[in-house]
Amino acid sequence: MRDVWERARRACGYLLVGLGAGMVSMVMLPLTVAVALTVVVAGLGYFALPRWLGVVRAWADLHHGRAARLLGLPADRGPAPDRSRFGPLTKAPSTRRDLVWLLLFPLSSVPAGLVALLAAGLAATSVLLPFWWAMPPGQELQAFGAPVTGWGTALTGIAAQLGASAALGGLVLSPLARAHARMNFRLLAPSEAELLAGRVDELTRTRADVVDAHGAELRRIERDLHDGTQARLVSIAMQLGVAEEAVQGDPRVAALLRDAHTGTEEAMEELRDCIRGIYPPILADRGLVGALRALAARTTVPTRLDAGELGTLPLAAETAAYFVVTEAVTNAVRHGRAGAITVRLAREDDALRVVVHDDGTGGVDESRGSGVVGIRRRVAALDGTVRVTSPVGGPTEVEVELPCGS
Amino acid sequence: MRVVIAEDNVLLSAGLELLLATRGFEVAEIAGDAEAFAAAVERHRPDLAIVDVRLPPDFRDEGIHAAIEARRRHDALPVLVLSQYVEQDYAGELLADGRGGVGYLLKDRVGRVSEFVDALHRVAGGGTVMDPGVVRQLLTRRPRDPLESLTPREQEVLALMAEGLGNGEIAERIVVTENAVHKHIGNVFAKLGLAPTDTGHRRVRAVLAYLDRR
Repeated sequence: MRDVWERARRACGYLLVGLGAGMVSMVMLPLTVAVALTVVVAGLGYFALPRWLGVVRAWADLHHGRAARLLGLPADRGPAPDRSRFGPLTKAPSTRRDLVWLLLFPLSSVPAGLVALLAAGLAATSVLLPFWWAMPPGQELQAFGAPVTGWGTALTGIAAQLGASAALGGLVLSPLARAHARMNFRLLAPSEAELLAGRVDELTRTRADVVDAHGAELRRIERDLHDGTQARLVSIAMQLGVAEEAVQGDPRVAALLRDAHTGTEEAMEELRDCIRGIYPPILADRGLVGALRALAARTTVPTRLDAGELGTLPLAAETAAYFVVTEAVTNAVRHGRAGAITVRLAREDDALRVVVHDDGTGGVDESRGSGVVGIRRRVAALDGTVRVTSPVGGPTEVEVELPCGS
Repeated sequence: MRVVIAEDNVLLSAGLELLLATRGFEVAEIAGDAEAFAAAVERHRPDLAIVDVRLPPDFRDEGIHAAIEARRRHDALPVLVLSQYVEQDYAGELLADGRGGVGYLLKDRVGRVSEFVDALHRVAGGGTVMDPGVVRQLLTRRPRDPLESLTPREQEVLALMAEGLGNGEIAERIVVTENAVHKHIGNVFAKLGLAPTDTGHRRVRAVLAYLDRR
């Protein structure tokens, strides 16, 4: 019983708000037409229309949210169209959907709202009947067509009106509100394609975040190992060294200490190799350009580095770029028999372009475990692109574009 | 001998201090960052400085810059730089002024107390000490250099020279006569095109020759 009452009350509230909103929408319709017409007036519309469409969108969002709440569904309207670009905005499916909804919303809301108003009105006015009969003379009040003339008819009228209101509320309002909500929900729901597009956008963004966080984490681990574990090992080696000198008199202890010392040195060596695999320390110390300069310096083939102003790069892009160049240069030296290598780096808007060119023998075969596979995998993780041209006889060029956000 | 240390890791600076004290060095001050190091050098005018590559606040290559700056301001102050990993770029930058009195060692070497202390004395005496790792990088990664023309024995001699050993010590290490070492070094100078001016500086320049050929 309480359930029925609660549902009726919610439905009634929903429909009454809809009634008001429907009337507001009736005003918004001609306003939309007026704002659209200003496009021809000295370009005013180019400024006004996107803003107005933003208002319509917010208005639609609000009612979509209300409908979703009533139905107990998630309110996902998909990504809002880009309001800074006029053409795509006016052609966006979501804009068209908002406008169709704005036209249909009053048509459904006003009649449905009136039914709710009737139910609420019947209940509200029923209690007035006895007062009306008892207090002022003159005018005659009717309840369902029968004049109220005494306590009998007044009480009967109250009962009849409350009954009618309860019947409306219990049986009609809730289904009516749900039907109204469903219709509006469907009118405003984004299409599958739009939802997917929004999802792709979101995944792209979160993937970039994850890759970035991963890069930062590797860098932190590198620091921790160097400044924590490695430093501790050095300190142990130092103490062992001092101890070794102090116990020269006892050859057995000296031998033990020497073994311990050698073991510590091997551990340091292994740890250093391990750290280099996690995150190149030179990249942490000198940044991308500094690290690549050092790479060029220690490459056996003359290597020229051409780097313009790169600005601040995301950690992930920096690490990937370093990896790509290291891999491509190693390939050129090991398999390509190159005589000269050129590495070019340039920042282009939202991307970092890396080109590694060598004059070697070419004919890179990607299927046969060349470093290109690793490059492709690394770059794909950042949603970048790889282009490899390597005709037999050379030259080989690896060109990579890494998105850098903005 | 008075020493100023730039090392932020307390474990290591304490260890160094202990080690140096047992070998008769006097540690004038331990600085925790580049700024404090510059002030300490100014204040104590040490005979030698020991500097860690990574220093606060960013733990990048502050130590290299601090060492170069201190050498510029204090008449080629002998500096030994300690690093967690070998990077020939750093070695090249330290050697670039060609004035000697420079060392670049992996931190691991500190544990070999006698060798480490020898290295300190060499650097303080104006010699050049390079980590065997740096020398290895140079020798293995430069096959097309004029260095390629060196015989394995000459390469070995050059490597030991870069580590800062004198002729006598090299002779001892590779078990030949000092005279033979002298001849090898002469060949190295000739093959690298180093004119017979001041021999002491030629030794430094032989090491520099590796680093210049990029």
